[in-house]
Amino acid sequence: MSGPSTLNVQLSTRPQFPWRIVDVIVAGIFIYAGLLKALDPARFAMDIDNYKIVPWFSSVAMAFYLPWLEIFCGFALVVRFLYRGALSILTALILVFTLATVAAKVRGLDITCGCFGHASQHWSFPAHLLTNLAILAALLALCVSNRSAKPL
Amino acid sequence: MTSSLVRQALILAALALLPGVGEAIYFRHQISWQSAISPSELVTVAQVHAWGENVIWVDARPDEEFARDHVPGALSLNEDRWNELLPQFLAAWSPGRKIVVYCSSLSCNASREIARRLRKEAQLPDVFVLEGGWEAWLKSK
Repeated sequence: MSGPSTLNVQLSTRPQFPWRIVDVIVAGIFIYAGLLKALDPARFAMDIDNYKIVPWFSSVAMAFYLPWLEIFCGFALVVRFLYRGALSILTALILVFTLATVAAKVRGLDITCGCFGHASQHWSFPAHLLTNLAILAALLALCVSNRSAKPL
Repeated sequence: MTSSLVRQALILAALALLPGVGEAIYFRHQISWQSAISPSELVTVAQVHAWGENVIWVDARPDEEFARDHVPGALSLNEDRWNELLPQFLAAWSPGRKIVVYCSSLSCNASREIARRLRKEAQLPDVFVLEGGWEAWLKSK
């Protein structure tokens, strides 16, 4: 039986169209950034190493792993499978990236963020920070908007 | 709900491990896990001075910094204009000359990247990175 109350529940759990657009945009950013880095892990390892936070061994491990994590989470957002897990991982990642960027700036390091491969090598600190904050805001908005969604 | 979220995150984290490990195996001969630059590829200003004239300096900093000042005789070769500047550099290079790449300071990575590309893409031997970069050069003057 499909009464009005059932219909209301179904409608409330279905993502609204504008949020799907945000999903796809955020997912696209992470998939694109992940692919660029996965194609050139040596460069990404050097970019991570430049932050002078972790030893070289860890930079290499992260250079192999993080791009794929971004890509998988991006696809999870698009297909809405393991959606909340993907949102939480991407939010944690962008928080860590932002903190690392601020820490590098405070320590006076001349860094290349490495976020989008060669495309981002000359981003200024404000541009870098604003991009991260915009993505973080979008992710947090998606978290809030999907709190009522049915978990997969 | 929290356990579901953690479970989902763990599944994604585990899934990403598979291609990550695959890529690590694929690139095992191209990336060293020991150090970003092998100690033999890192040189100090004093070492470069000891090599005498048999050195070609490469400035990996952006054009405006190169225009402001650079090591005497250095050639500009940066990532912004790699395709444009590489032929000029290759015309100036001759076999047997050591190549020393520098960027602005100890924390910059442009020199490492340019040195890597000179070895990998231009297939040049004897490519070194100046420890401390331009700042180290200025201090040594």
